[in-house]
Amino acid sequence: MSENRLEIRNLHARIAGGVDILKGVDLTVPAGEVHALMGQNGSGKSTLAKVMAGDPAYEITDGDILIDGESVLEMEPDERARAGLYLAFQYPVEVPGVSIANFLRLALNARRDEDDEIGVMEFYTKLQGAVKELDWDESIIERNLHEGFSGGEKKRSEILQLLVLEPKYAILDETDSGLDVDALKVVAHGVNAARGDAFGALVITHYQRLLNYIVPDRVHVMAEGRVITSGDKELAMELDDKGYDWIKNEVASGAAPA
Amino acid sequence: MATLTDNPLLSAGALEALIRSGGEPDWLAEERRAALRTFDATPWPTERDEAWRYSDLKRFAVDGLEPTDGPDDDAVSDRIRMRMTDSDAEGILVHKNGRTIERQLAVREAGVLVTDLRTAVTEHEDLVREHLYAAVDAHAGKYHALNAAFWRDGTFVYVPKNVEVELPLGAFTSADRGGLSMGRTLIVVEDNAKVTFLDEYTSDTFDARLFHGAVTELVLGPGAKVRYLALQNWGRNVAHMQRVAAKLDRDARLESLTVSVGGDAARAEVESTMQGPGSESEMLGLYFGDEGQHFDQFTVQHHEADHAFSDVLFKGAVRDASHSVYSGVIIVDEGAQKTDAYQTNRNLLLDDDSEAVSIPQLQIGANDVRCSHGSTTGPVPEDQRFYLMSRGMPPEVAEHLLVTGFLYEVMSRVTLPKAAEYVERVVQAKLGVPGVKEKL
Ligand SMILES: Nc1ncnc2c1ncn2[C@@H]1O[C@H](COP(=O)(O)OP(=O)(O)OP(=O)(O)O)[C@@H](O)[C@H]1O
Ligand SMILES: [Mg+2]
Repeated sequence: MSENRLEIRNLHARIAGGVDILKGVDLTVPAGEVHALMGQNGSGKSTLAKVMAGDPAYEITDGDILIDGESVLEMEPDERARAGLYLAFQYPVEVPGVSIANFLRLALNARRDEDDEIGVMEFYTKLQGAVKELDWDESIIERNLHEGFSGGEKKRSEILQLLVLEPKYAILDETDSGLDVDALKVVAHGVNAARGDAFGALVITHYQRLLNYIVPDRVHVMAEGRVITSGDKELAMELDDKGYDWIKNEVASGAAPA
Repeated sequence: MATLTDNPLLSAGALEALIRSGGEPDWLAEERRAALRTFDATPWPTERDEAWRYSDLKRFAVDGLEPTDGPDDDAVSDRIRMRMTDSDAEGILVHKNGRTIERQLAVREAGVLVTDLRTAVTEHEDLVREHLYAAVDAHAGKYHALNAAFWRDGTFVYVPKNVEVELPLGAFTSADRGGLSMGRTLIVVEDNAKVTFLDEYTSDTFDARLFHGAVTELVLGPGAKVRYLALQNWGRNVAHMQRVAAKLDRDARLESLTVSVGGDAARAEVESTMQGPGSESEMLGLYFGDEGQHFDQFTVQHHEADHAFSDVLFKGAVRDASHSVYSGVIIVDEGAQKTDAYQTNRNLLLDDDSEAVSIPQLQIGANDVRCSHGSTTGPVPEDQRFYLMSRGMPPEVAEHLLVTGFLYEVMSRVTLPKAAEYVERVVQAKLGVPGVKEKL
């Protein structure tokens, strides 16, 4: 079996000193696939995403996270990013005084050798290509990172960065929330543009409607810090219809696979 | 407790020698002698003085230092040559250890005077006599008096009515040996005239300790517009004590930027007095301390007249056991109604060994005013650091970005692009951003 996958094994994690929020998450996203992760508010989706990216606010008490077979637990957030992981934040942070262009240039160069910095032309061509892909105005790249951005603009920025940085694995944490239909299509288009054999994604969402545009290969359902069941894209539709109590009962009664 | 002590070389005899060497007129000699009497009669500041409470006083000591009347080498350093070219200035003086070593004066606008202050004392005596010591009272404090008595070289700028000087004027103050030097800048800008002045302090690091005292007096006539930038980037063996004071007549506008990045210790006192209604003073400040540096900033926004505006924004960062102090006061006199005055100080603590103290104050004697002050001090927000690192940036690159981003609020308000770029490069070089140092 190919090693090219993003893998979470029996992951337990908590806020430093607190009780476990993640209580044994198992989840695998093979390269080339897009999986959806659904679950009620507070079920631990964002915690999982941030723990994977290395947020220092959390500590891992058990389990492992592997990129292409390599554990990332000992890696700092920047090392994980350079190993190919990308998190589109549910709440993208504002960084005053740092323009998107400057920020992305430095982020790209951080992935390259010191004597192999990206050329100015090459960089702008790439950045402008991504801006176009998202149907955005070019002036956006001179704005400071998320300063004064609307909710939807922040989400779009997360996808812009994804297109420029070209990670191997992306986790999108509710990138669809708060978007109008047009913006949703644009974001979905961005993700689909990144799709390919060498790219895997975990798309966290509450809404089936996103999955109409980004059709998932698998759907996982999280509850109380665990993935309680997984299925194909039909599962998302059923969930939309019947709700989380239904799926919890299905799992409890053995009707759905645990 | 550290106490400052006298320097026997700052004697009446030494002052007389200084007066004789310049062939100075009697009125100036008398001013100097009076200042020396004040100096002798005034005790050194101690930690008990409110204005000095958080300062590292001993780092501003002058004892054991010999007043210098010139450098070892009269040559203008490459560093300053480069700055002279880069600054686009049309009038430049270079001072070194108390001597004016270069004058490049190609000022095209008619009637504009730019010269060293001691020459001005003889060649433009009436103007100097009218304005010298007016904005910075020789008797207001120990260091005021020290400079007023012993200033040796300096710069004089005069811009007559309605003349707009297009390109910047500037002075570079430098040194190649230790001791005690005292410089003074007097800039007089008449009604509706306009000028930009770059005041830079820079040197390579040399062995001995240097104390440099700098006083700048800015006199703005009705409707005058002045941009003044003080950039302190001395070598690490220098203590720098600067006072910049402006008097603004009706509808005058001052934009000032005070930058402290060099030296071992620096105190920058920036004061604007709004004497005329409708006058405006925007006072920006930026400091970045590392490797044990001590930066002390003190601002005064004094509203004497009604309907005037002032805005202070001072931002700084500290790391590697360095310290910063900001204290500032807005003073609104009785009758200065419709005053608009703001004061903001923000500090970034880059590690646990460093410290930033911030003391904003208001003294308001009028009732129909809008005044606010605010201050924040804290580390780099963890969520911002994590966000940048999650994009692959190593911690040091993330820190570069966060510090420059933090200071951007000040830099984006500097209306002099070339100077702003230079300040940015200096800050980046200090931060250790690769490839920047070579370009300085
Ligand atoms: N930094 C934190 N401090 C305290 N509690 C936290 C923290 N992070 C997460 N939690 C708690 O952990 C649980 C899971 O939160 P998380 O944000 O992962 O949920 P989620 O599934 O992403 O929910 P939503 O759908 O609302 O985004 C919640 O009860 C939350 O309050
Ligand atoms: Mg969430």
